[in-house]
Amino acid sequence: MNWVPTSPDTGISRRSFLAAGAAGATLATSGCVNSVRNVVGKSADGQLSLSITTIPADADRQGIQIARKLEANLQQVGIDVSIDMRSPSELLKAVLIEHDFDLYVGHHPAGYDPDFLYEMLHSSFASEAGWQNPFGFTNMVFDTLLEDQRRAAGAQRKRLVQSVLKALAKSKPFEPICQPDEYRVASTDRFDGWGEANLTTRHGYLELEPADDVSELLALKTDSRPTSNLNPLSATMRERDTMIRLLFDSLATVHEGEVQPWLAEDITWTDVEPADGEQGPTLTATVTLREGCQFHADERLAGEDEQLSDEDKRLTAEDVAFTYRFLEDTSLGRAPAPSPAPRYQSHVSAVDRVTVDSEYELTFSMNASRTVAKRALTVPILPKQFWRNLVDQRAKDGEFTASQGRWIAATGDHVPPIGSGPFQFESRTEGDQLVLTRFDDHFTLRDDVELPSSSVERLRFEIDPSSASSVRRIADSNADVTASMLDAYTLDAIPDSSDIEQLHHPSRTFYHIGFNVRNAPFSNTHFRRAVAQLIPKQAIVDDVFYGYATPTATPVTDEWVPERLAWDGEDPVTPFLGSNGELNVAAAKAAFETAGFRYDDNGRLLGGY
Amino acid sequence: MLAEVLTQLALVISILVPVSVVVFIGRERLARTRSEWRSRLRTAGPVIAVLIGVLLINRVARQTAPELSRQIGFRLSGAFYELEGEFILIFQSIQTPETTAYFSTIYVYGYTFLLIFPIIAYFTLPDTRIFRRLLTAYALNYAIGLVLYILVIAYGPRNLMPAELMERMLYNTNPQYQYLTGEVNTNTNVFPSLHTSLSATVATFAWKTRSEFPKWFPIAIVLAASVAISTMYLGIHWGLDVVAGTMLAAACVSLSDRLVDRWSVAELSEQFADRLPWPQNQE
Repeated sequence: MNWVPTSPDTGISRRSFLAAGAAGATLATSGCVNSVRNVVGKSADGQLSLSITTIPADADRQGIQIARKLEANLQQVGIDVSIDMRSPSELLKAVLIEHDFDLYVGHHPAGYDPDFLYEMLHSSFASEAGWQNPFGFTNMVFDTLLEDQRRAAGAQRKRLVQSVLKALAKSKPFEPICQPDEYRVASTDRFDGWGEANLTTRHGYLELEPADDVSELLALKTDSRPTSNLNPLSATMRERDTMIRLLFDSLATVHEGEVQPWLAEDITWTDVEPADGEQGPTLTATVTLREGCQFHADERLAGEDEQLSDEDKRLTAEDVAFTYRFLEDTSLGRAPAPSPAPRYQSHVSAVDRVTVDSEYELTFSMNASRTVAKRALTVPILPKQFWRNLVDQRAKDGEFTASQGRWIAATGDHVPPIGSGPFQFESRTEGDQLVLTRFDDHFTLRDDVELPSSSVERLRFEIDPSSASSVRRIADSNADVTASMLDAYTLDAIPDSSDIEQLHHPSRTFYHIGFNVRNAPFSNTHFRRAVAQLIPKQAIVDDVFYGYATPTATPVTDEWVPERLAWDGEDPVTPFLGSNGELNVAAAKAAFETAGFRYDDNGRLLGGY
Repeated sequence: MLAEVLTQLALVISILVPVSVVVFIGRERLARTRSEWRSRLRTAGPVIAVLIGVLLINRVARQTAPELSRQIGFRLSGAFYELEGEFILIFQSIQTPETTAYFSTIYVYGYTFLLIFPIIAYFTLPDTRIFRRLLTAYALNYAIGLVLYILVIAYGPRNLMPAELMERMLYNTNPQYQYLTGEVNTNTNVFPSLHTSLSATVATFAWKTRSEFPKWFPIAIVLAASVAISTMYLGIHWGLDVVAGTMLAAACVSLSDRLVDRWSVAELSEQFADRLPWPQNQE
């Protein structure tokens, strides 16, 4: 392996440079400095001004169009709006890590189980950096409901989840817009069985059926972030963690909506009666690991003698227990305050305690029902040796703060992706390609394991500039499959040919507008509701997604959607104030006035209230 | 894909250039160049070295500059959009598949040709000054452009108005060109338009040399104007980028006048030798 750092984490401090170059720079930008800074507030004449953060069309053709529709409508109701465009990783950094935004357009990966809402909305995460509660939303009623649904099961849980969804539709820390149809295209030249392959999962890549002489899959990605950072903890380098799931194993894996044992050979569940009250564990899981599993060979796993031995590579219960402890506090108790990882917090918060029983046996004490507890077993298992060393090195000079979500373990792009997964890192060229090779010691290749195993030796991910060019390459048989989800504008133009197969899977991911509820005016629920009524969801689905999406009032799908929140041609709670995508300005302004906002004589919405 | 596009580009240029040499330069100048090329190269050597140096720095900076830019740059996409709004959509009125094809061709092939041909043409002039000025102006364009690219982080109109530009966006109609432009540039480098500034630079020199190359002058003007319009028509640049590009061109042309012949390598090395701390002639 040669995971070479691209850029060291030292950089020119923005402040010192600005001090030096302030004069010239100010001159160059005079007049538009106001719109450059991302501040919620009033412009000089008292008008409310907001900034919509979104990503450029190169990265996602849909997001910017949603932003501009909303921008136009906000302007019509007298708000001064600017668009703040950032690259995908910079958008996530501003939203998830810095919490420096007013409102943003995002595409959330969601999850197979609605418990991802716990991570999105629970108050305990409001001040943390990462995917956990980026909105800064705090609400006791929500907290109780979110906690209760974790402990409940069956119909009772469904009722509680639906209560969360109904409350969410009213208070709107974020506003879901639609679930996009997820399409990919594949060439049938060299591979079969595309119909089965769901390339958002591990199984998808393991179930490929190559022709006899084919040893490599050439997949096209439009997102270049995996070529620069595969740190499993990084919040900003990926929305969905498919690539991480190829490189890392987890105790259990999700296949077709069901959780199955993966690295665990066996999981035995035991219900526990809480001693008094409702606190304390409700369930234990006794996990037996597959024996003899190894991490990918990397000299950084070597012990003190610096010779990498089989013993160093062995994956044991110690690594598993370490992973859960580390995700909960990446400083391992060495920093003054705990530093939770910026990912997987709803997973690890369901686990109260992990006890190592023997080399290959652990007991998890869970504070959740079995369904939610199973989800906790899907985090990537990390090698203890490497990550503990990283913390030790950083902590040895005594002044170790492990700034939550920001320190090197959570962000560093030089962190090698040493996992135990079915594929291992081979090479990368930043912005260009990433190559993974089959890990021949992986348990899925054992004769007695009945799980799909990789029949290709190599996965080559090439970065392609756009969905349109990717489709063309597949049509020309210059690549096997598009690994990234295609932008909607290309779908009608996919050539109708027997050499091209369209892969379509129902998607749970959702586009949404997120609000920063820490600051005025989005701290005001009435304001958020009024803004939500400016979003023409149906028109967005028709014009921006060309019909390849489902408008929605909830961030979940199918059986979880309460009847009252089902889409019936318009949003059932906060319908769009207009028709056919055209805003009824008078009605919209009235909504803001009802929300307690005032207008000046020129029809501008005033910021102070 | 990239190789395919490059081959095509090389092919087109390798046809256009010889034809233009015959049409615009003339046999007499070529003959004289054949006997004088050594001395002309020697005179122009330092300038050529500077240009190559700047191009190499540009190439390296493509890897490192984005990171630096993220740290110190100003995010101005929103500001540009606010200032000029949907100005570039005025080209909607001339949009037809034919104009789209014309401007796409101009943007890729016309521009490359426009930059390469004057280098050859001016090398055939007995006085190398205009040749050296052209190369100096190129170098200045790239150098100043690089600094501005680091300071200004802005996405072009196609990234903000994909729907309105749908039918004529270069990368929709000809996605293969994105492999080429992706090699040359990143999508946040839009201010100023170097396509515009370099084309305007060439056009200005074409005007200055209109008595030497009377037939080239109108061609250069039409090509340069087409390139500037194409950057907006295809949704790659804002009007502001084009204005800034034109101003950059003016600055580079006038700077090239002041800089060329200001220093001679012989004098410089003499001055430098004088300042060396150790004795020059040890007897």
